[in-house]
Formats: sequence, C-alpha cells, structure tokens
Amino acid sequence: MPGQVALTIDPAALADLVAEIPRGAVLVTGSNGKGTTCRMLSQVMRTAGLHPIVNQEGSNQRSGLATAMVAHSAATGHLPADRQAIGLFEVDEGSMPEILRHIRRPKALVFTNIFRDQLDRYLEPAYTKMLLERAMQTLPEGTALVLNADDPRIACLASGLTNPRIYYGMDDTDPGRDSADPTSDCPRCPRCDGELSYTCVYYAHLGHWRCEGCGLARPQPQVRATKVDLMGPSSAHLQVVTPTAESVLEIPLPGLYNAYNALAAVAAAEECELPDSSFSAIERITAGSLRMEKVEVAGHDVYLALAKNSNGYTEVLRAVLGDRKPKRVLLGLNDFPGKQPDTSWIWDVDFASLTGLVTAPVVCGNRAADLAVRLKYAGWLEAGPDADLVVEPDPVRAFQLALARTSPGQPLWVVSTSVVLGQVRDWLRHQGYVKEVWREQRGSARWLA
Amino acid sequence: MKICLGYLYPDVMATYGDRGNVETVVRRCEWRDISVAVTELRLGDAIVPEALDLIMIGGGGEAQQRLIAPDLYKVKGAGIREAVDLGAGALAVGGGYELLGRFCQLERGAELPGVELFDVWTMRHSAVLGDHSGTISDVRADRAIGELVVRWGARLLVGFENHGGGTYLGPTAQPLGQVLSGHGNNGDGTEGAIRANAVGTHLRGPCLPKNPALADFLIGAALTRRYGAADLLPLGDDLEQAAHQAAMQRARAATHTTHGKLRRAALTKAGLAHVRAGR
Repeated sequence: MPGQVALTIDPAALADLVAEIPRGAVLVTGSNGKGTTCRMLSQVMRTAGLHPIVNQEGSNQRSGLATAMVAHSAATGHLPADRQAIGLFEVDEGSMPEILRHIRRPKALVFTNIFRDQLDRYLEPAYTKMLLERAMQTLPEGTALVLNADDPRIACLASGLTNPRIYYGMDDTDPGRDSADPTSDCPRCPRCDGELSYTCVYYAHLGHWRCEGCGLARPQPQVRATKVDLMGPSSAHLQVVTPTAESVLEIPLPGLYNAYNALAAVAAAEECELPDSSFSAIERITAGSLRMEKVEVAGHDVYLALAKNSNGYTEVLRAVLGDRKPKRVLLGLNDFPGKQPDTSWIWDVDFASLTGLVTAPVVCGNRAADLAVRLKYAGWLEAGPDADLVVEPDPVRAFQLALARTSPGQPLWVVSTSVVLGQVRDWLRHQGYVKEVWREQRGSARWLA
Repeated sequence: MKICLGYLYPDVMATYGDRGNVETVVRRCEWRDISVAVTELRLGDAIVPEALDLIMIGGGGEAQQRLIAPDLYKVKGAGIREAVDLGAGALAVGGGYELLGRFCQLERGAELPGVELFDVWTMRHSAVLGDHSGTISDVRADRAIGELVVRWGARLLVGFENHGGGTYLGPTAQPLGQVLSGHGNNGDGTEGAIRANAVGTHLRGPCLPKNPALADFLIGAALTRRYGAADLLPLGDDLEQAAHQAAMQRARAATHTTHGKLRRAALTKAGLAHVRAGR
C-alpha cells in the first residue's frame, strides 16, 4: 500500500501532506455511521464547490489516510495547488489518538456515536471515550467539535475544552420510543455517574436524556430534525432546521441511523460555512459498498447490509422490517479468529420484537450455530408454519438456498457481519452481477473496519 | 410451578450480552411450563434471601465494578450469602464473579471489597484501563482472550474468556472445573468457583445458551430450593449442542495455531489430548 510505504520512508508524510491542504481537514469518527456521514458530507462539499480529499471507506486507520494523501500528491511529493481542496477523513475511533498526533490542527471533528463495538478490540465504551478525550486535550482552540446531542457520551465529550461545539439531534418525537432499548451499554450520567432517564429514545441510548441525580441534560441542538418520516425499507424523509435555514431532505437510505448520519453531515457542513443550498446534495447519496447496496440477481432485488455490532444489527433489521411486512432475509454472523473472536453482542440485538417477520430464515457464517441458538431463544422458531430455520454455515451456499426459497420477483435482504457479506459479494461479482471490486477486500485488516 | 430470579444490576453488569444467560433460564423454564418472575435488583435495592430461588449477575469492566462494589458489599452481600446458604442457585460471570470473591485488586492498587461468597480473590497484574496503556494493543497483551473449555464433572463447558489479571483460590474454595483449553482463573488449570449451588465463572459468550446442562443445573437448584425437588423435562437441544460443538472445534483449532503465550502455557497435556480427540 502506498500509504504504508510512504510512512515507512517518512513517518511525517501524513502530517506534512495534510498540513498543506488549504481548507484544512475534517475528521469523522464514532462507532457507527462514520462512513455514510463522510459520503453525505463529501456530496455537500462538492456541490459547494470544494474538492474533498477522502480516504476509502473502511481504510480509516493511519495507513489508510496516508494512502489517500499520497494518492493525491504530485511527483514533487507535495499536493497540487488547489485552493478548494479540503480533507474529509473517516477515522477509526480506536485510531483517533494516533491520527491526532499526525493531524494536529484539524478544522473540525465530527462525532457520530459511541456504542459497544468489537469488545475484544475496543474493550468498553467508557474506555473508547477516555481514549478520545485524552487525545483531544492537545487540540488547538479553533478546532470545532460537531457532536450528537442525543448520545450522552458524545454530547459531553471533553466538556472541559473551550472549543466551539455545535450539536445536532432529533427533535421530532414521533419515531421515538418510551424507554431505552434493553441493551446493556446504556451510559450513566457523564458528570455524576447517576442514572439517566429518557422522555424519548430513538434507538439504543440515543434520545432526549436527563440525569435524575444532577440535572445534566441533553444540550439543545443547533441542527435538528423537526420531522422524520421513515418510508419503509429504502428511504427516509427529514425536515432539518439549522440556525439559518430549513430544508427537507429525501434520503434514499432507510432507518433512523441514516437520519442521524444526514444530521451529522448537515451540522458539519454548517460548521464549514457551506451554503444552505448545498445540503440537498445529501439526497444524491447512494448506498456504499454493503450499506444496503442493491444488486439485481436473476430478477430479484438483493440488498446487502452490513451489521457489525448489536446496535447496527438491530437498526438494520428494524429498517428492513419496520413496516411489519414479512420478508425474506439471510442472516449471517462470523467472527475473526485471533482478532475479533467475540460475538456475545448478538444477545443484545433486538430480535424478539421482530418475531415472525422473517419468512423461513436462513442463517450462515462460521458462527451460524450461535446465531441459530440466539434466534431460537428470541422466539423465532415458534412464530408459525413459516418459521423453519435453515442453518448453512457456507455463505455462498446459504445465499443460493435463500434465493431459491424467495418467490420470483421478490426481494431478498442479506444482513450480516463483514466476512460473510464479503464472500456473498465476491460470488456475485464472479457471477457478473456486480462490476465494482469492493475496495475493502484488499488486505484482511480491512475486514475489521 | 414458578421460580423467582433476582437479576443483579441489569443496567450495569451486562457487558458481554449477559442478559442472554437470563433469557436462557427464562425460556428453558417456559418451555417446561415453569414461570419465572424476574426481579431486577439495581443500585440501592435490598435482597430478600427467602424470596429468591436464583441469583444472576453478569460481567463488567473496572468502571462498572467500581460503581457497584460498595452497593454489593453493603446492601446486597449478606442477602446473597444467605440465599445461597438456603439453597438458591447463583450464576456470577466475569466482573460479577470477581466481586463475589473476597476482594478485587485493581491495576493501580485500589482494592474493591467482595461479598465473600467464594473464597477467591482477583489481582489485575497491570494496565487494563491505565494511563500508561496508550493503545489497544497494549491493553490486549495483558488479557486472556479466546475460547475456554472446562471439564465440569462428567461434562464439558465452553465459552469465551476476556479478562485481565488472575483470580486465585483460597483454601476453602472449590473450583468449578479444570481448564482443558484456555486460561481460566489464573493459568493454574482451574476455572471458576462453586459453592453449594452458586457458580462463579469467567465463561462468557454468554455461557448458558451453549451449555444447556449448566442452565438446567441452575434451574434444578432453583426448583429444589422452592419445592424440595426438581424433575426437569428434557428439551430438544440440537441447536444448542451444535453451538457447543462448534465452540469445541474453535478451541481445538486454536491449539494448533499460535494464539498467545497464555493459551499455550495453560493447555495441559491431558487437556490437549482431550480437546484434540474432540470429546
């Protein structure tokens, strides 16, 4: 990889090249949604006349950023003169401390959320938050922080810093619920460690929160969604109010999590002082590789959806099944031996509320047996005559099986962790259904992203 | 029939899908027409020992342990010991298991008092969440992470372990079982602790879904405590056994690859033979 080579020859290569970008660099990090947020923001930036330099989705550690910068530099080893150039980088949350040692003066940091993700890799959310806060101590005063008001961990991140803070969040309470999802990484009060209460929860621990103990509460967001309409498994409508404008966005991606990604992108665009008229560029977003990516296979619309942790899995399934109409879904689960062996998070996925909505479910992946047990205990096997569960660890055979069981013309969703999904997509590419090579598949480390 | 299950700190000690253990007990009871009343016991809630047939506490990191330790010690400790003495079943996993011992020493020397249900104590050797651990790799190096296989009487238990430091057994402690593959309590070949019907273990995953025998042991204990006897209908456990076998295979594969010093050191000859044979 050119980035790795450049860093070996010159460890300061990344820092030096990023320092040359005339409009500075925006870094986007968090557990979920950073890739999609970046793609939305880059559309907005382009529409506003900027030329964003971006890293490949998932190549979000130091070498990935260096690769992007080296690819943009001229033979002189410097960036070509371009006054409209701006850096826009997706950054792995665990790599943020290292990245901030190289990119010392970012224009803005955008935070999506902190969920329990890859426990064996990042340990606990509290630890992720502590790493981020420690790394942020060296930020210059001018770096703006773009923060999710609805995530207590993000809203109060590094609250001792005097940097400008811009908050985004949901105001429309219609798509919310009454209480936090029964997953276990619900944060305590960031100030007093007390119990948080919610008047509205959008998903997991994101919502309108308040500490019963000390009174600390969700900050009022400057960028807010005043109306959210989830339009089923393929799109969402969003009315967004900023201090200067009001826009209606039709996002061609489903689910509340994508509404949050759009809000983060608008808030970051607002912070970069991009014109309000450019926000609608978010509507041109297409699904990224494996982010509800649509592929036509033998008359079926097949959707590939990556779900890499408990909240991701829950929200992807809710986006697909939210209209309560039964569908065909292939569910996958894999581990990554030696690196990411833990799949206990499937017990925090809300399968129980979706009982009976997946017709004849097929499960696959090297942890298919664990997923099958999980579904059994969530009541999926007792959901009637269509509840027959098929366990086929091999992802390609499972896909063929699931497709064969899908009525002609009907869609099939494939919801899974990365290895399974990559294997299905590889097969689809070899069969000629997809043209593009999934860039994340070069180098096995990518699978972790 | 009905049993009462006390679920300790569901909002704090549930880092590794621990609610799956509770769900497993509840479902396996429902399938046998036994109803389960789950009482969530949070910070400040007292324990009524006579009212509980089964007590469960999940895992958590140091931050969670610090949060609950004073409450566990002052508010719930005596009640837990008494309930177990009255015959209640108990399952304590990971950080919860550590706090049911005598004490848990954190990496910077601070000591959390335990409830002394088990005669064990836990020492963190070094950084888990320390200031000097700048990267994830530093932290990982000090932890036992991977598949854990334990001989429990005539049966095998499988699960996933991810813990720092070691848990040491005092003179009156009885280990839950012997490590066949993995690290266990501290690398000495023992794993977990058992006292009457109370089980403490580092097995996660969560552990009950793919160890239905352990789940049924706890349900049997709870029924016996309430009704004086337990007669559990056998259930069709094909999926559970398949997950159990798959975990055994992963453990076996891990013994053939370099997978960290801890794992290789902890694998006894007998254990290796056992795991390789796939029994």
